Amino acid sequence: MVSRFRAASLATVVVGALLGFLIASAVGLVAQDNGLFGGNGESPVARAYMLGLLQRNPSAISSIRPQQGIARRAAELQGAATSRSASSIQPLSLTYLGGASLGQVQVHIYAVGLRSSSGVDQFFPLALTIAGGKVVRSE
Amino acid sequence: MSEVRAYGTLALFVLGLAIGAVAHQFTDRGPGDNPYPSLPRTDEPAAARDVVQAIANDDPQSLSKMLSSDILTDLGTALDPIVDVRSTKFVGAVESEGRLLSAYIITGKTSDGNDFVVGFVLRVANDQVVGVN
Repeated sequence: MVSRFRAASLATVVVGALLGFLIASAVGLVAQDNGLFGGNGESPVARAYMLGLLQRNPSAISSIRPQQGIARRAAELQGAATSRSASSIQPLSLTYLGGASLGQVQVHIYAVGLRSSSGVDQFFPLALTIAGGKVVRSE
Repeated sequence: MSEVRAYGTLALFVLGLAIGAVAHQFTDRGPGDNPYPSLPRTDEPAAARDVVQAIANDDPQSLSKMLSSDILTDLGTALDPIVDVRSTKFVGAVESEGRLLSAYIITGKTSDGNDFVVGFVLRVANDQVVGVN
């Protein structure tokens, strides 16, 4: 009788915890979209992807983008190593402009400032589409 | 007795809700520190606002007068695969050395009738839209 009571109590807490987690996730998503609670709505996945790009570190973003073939991954690492050794690009700024979500899909937009090896400053945007925790589109 | 039990169950359920919410706070970490400087935000440029207003109003005639054919082509690519725009939202703009970037989120329907969301950025210089990304 006591063990049954304990099991029922534990089940109630677990169900409540699951529901609490889901509600907090939903509230967090709405808050992220609208920049509530002092946040600007930026996604950790989007930030990690942008930093990986600017730091020319394909390994850092391999887990947050769709799986690619080994040859392409090797070519990226090769290109990143060449780029790093030549110090061809110097990041100047990374500004999060904003984003929104629709169902499981999120869009986050950044403005990037770079200085090329020839000293020319470039200023361009990048829009990331995230689905299932991975960056599926970058343009 | 049954009333006490009902209150007890409710209390346990509320306790569970609190545990779930706290657990979410620990697992849902925000973005880390940005090692690069962020540029200050600016107001939405009027030229970009007019273009997005025309998109929101489904007004191709106005759009054709505001943008060159090259920019219209780029805009089509940026909006792809949305063919029926339902909402537009300005999310932010920044300026660097006279070059303005004004960012928007567009939601709408694809040709298959599915809901979709895209983001695009209008480049503005000298009070004119000079590019789309």
